[in-house]
Amino acid sequence: MRNNLPTLIVFVAMGLLPLVTSDYWTSQLNYYLIYGLFAMSLSLTWGYGGILCLGQAIFFGIGAYVMAVTTKGMLDPIPTSFYLGLLLAMMAGAAFAALLGYFLFAGRGIHGAYLAIITLAIAMVLERLMSNWYELGGYNGLLDIPPINLALFGDPIDIWDPLPTFYILWGIVFTIALWLSWLTQSDVGLKLIALRTNPDRLPYFGFRPLTIRLQVFCLSAAIAALAGALFVTIDGFASPTLIGFGLSTEVLIWVAIGGKEVLIAAFLGAVLTRLTESWLSEIFGDYWILILGTLFMISVVLLPKGLIASLIDWLQKPRKST
Amino acid sequence: MDILIPLVDASSYILILVLIALGLMIIFGMMGVINMAHGELFMLGAYVMVMAQSLSLPFWLGIVLAPIVVGAIGLVIEYCLIRHIYLRPIDTILATWGLSIALKQAIVLLFGPEAQSVVTPISSTLTVGEFSYPLYRLLVMGISLFLIGGTFWLFLKTDFGLMARAVIARPDTAATLGINTRRMYRWSFVIGTALAGLAGALIAPTISVDPQMGLGYLVPGFLSILVGGAGPLAGVLVGGTAVGGTNSLLTVWISPVAAQIAVFILAILIIRLRPEGILGGRREK
Repeated sequence: MRNNLPTLIVFVAMGLLPLVTSDYWTSQLNYYLIYGLFAMSLSLTWGYGGILCLGQAIFFGIGAYVMAVTTKGMLDPIPTSFYLGLLLAMMAGAAFAALLGYFLFAGRGIHGAYLAIITLAIAMVLERLMSNWYELGGYNGLLDIPPINLALFGDPIDIWDPLPTFYILWGIVFTIALWLSWLTQSDVGLKLIALRTNPDRLPYFGFRPLTIRLQVFCLSAAIAALAGALFVTIDGFASPTLIGFGLSTEVLIWVAIGGKEVLIAAFLGAVLTRLTESWLSEIFGDYWILILGTLFMISVVLLPKGLIASLIDWLQKPRKST
Repeated sequence: MDILIPLVDASSYILILVLIALGLMIIFGMMGVINMAHGELFMLGAYVMVMAQSLSLPFWLGIVLAPIVVGAIGLVIEYCLIRHIYLRPIDTILATWGLSIALKQAIVLLFGPEAQSVVTPISSTLTVGEFSYPLYRLLVMGISLFLIGGTFWLFLKTDFGLMARAVIARPDTAATLGINTRRMYRWSFVIGTALAGLAGALIAPTISVDPQMGLGYLVPGFLSILVGGAGPLAGVLVGGTAVGGTNSLLTVWISPVAAQIAVFILAILIIRLRPEGILGGRREK
């Protein structure tokens, strides 16, 4: 439980925020929670599993589109259910990751920088594909996606207000964050670290690197797809930009700035980058992106572990020595 | 006769792609740096031409200035950024990605987000029988061929090339033999960026120049390297021909978007099935 402390503190503090902020900021926080969840999914596959996926938005986008078509009732025999949408989105994300992962990792496989470039190319292909898939709205995307609907059967219980939406999302993201935190500190986490640092020696201990790699890739994809699915319920809009290059870049920056090897640091990286962005982009206007790019370069050079992960390390150090 | 023009179009695209991929390959092969900002350096070359035109400088002066300006920017980038991280290959992806964002936005701030155009210096066409083709494009092909040849000559026939190949093969041994590896790295980076700048300048009159143009050349450039094989420089020729040629020729029959999707998928399949590339050779991580 000891290393869950930062996660608990962050989420409890975040859970209190909407009580003091305006509705506008609460609805912003809703987005931050989802981006944070998305960032944790990349941290899992990249920071823990050592699989640098430059196309993480592939899974976010798949989740978003599956959720959209389910809740809009576009899959005829399948009922329009929020829960079913989430489930199908996660299953679709994981299934695509399983296929893609098997294709990429089996045998001698593709790793490191090669994998990064190939996943980037795949994200670009999918973005083009979605832009031209007219049944799914093509370039314009899908509009009017229903909000969170808590009803299991019968009359819908739509959640439109930012505050209840916040606590539903907070509950989901908090649960997953705690579970992942626990998971990465268990034997599974140990296997993942072994996979990242020395995959060639794993077979000596009776583990198949391919199996572990596929497991972490699929789990990460399912979480990214869940983030995508939740995103369209609050945004009401699914477009090709959710699946492609731009969003993949952004999540990479959040995770790298926060710290890829600590889940909660990746989460905070997303939240803080978005927060700073909405603040500073008003002050600096178009210069903000220039500043972001520069800050990112500096943080990669000076703090390779990430800003927040380095901070957490530093905070925990004196306690260890006593 | 119908197939001749697509073939010439394909060759012209291939040559530009090979120029870009050569720059990427030199930087990657030499320092292990994955330069995600290479597309933006290519874009900078095109914007040097936009600048030159707005200052009403002669066109060919712009072509000479572009590699010098972009190479100088490359030198600054090497000094400020690359030399700190070239031992951390994955971090080079991230840092140069940040660089590409910054460069793109700097261009938006200076020139605006809209597309610019550069006027062709030679508007005449070459006509042989039924075949007619813009003379400028043929000239660009000639210059590209010359540059590609020149780069090969530099790396295969000169003392600099010998030292560079020594550094690529065994950096430690090369350093022990008195080769200044740091300086080799720096100059390879500058040569790579200057090539990208020159390619951008040459292509500028034939395309619309905008801040987003880099990415459309970066990814095919990388795929060319991977398809061709990361070993020798010759791999870039094969990879560039395969990726660029398939793309241009498919565009004749199917839409450009479908062609690009098909090429990316084909390239990914080839890279997966032959990780060492078409030409084979040693596979690096």
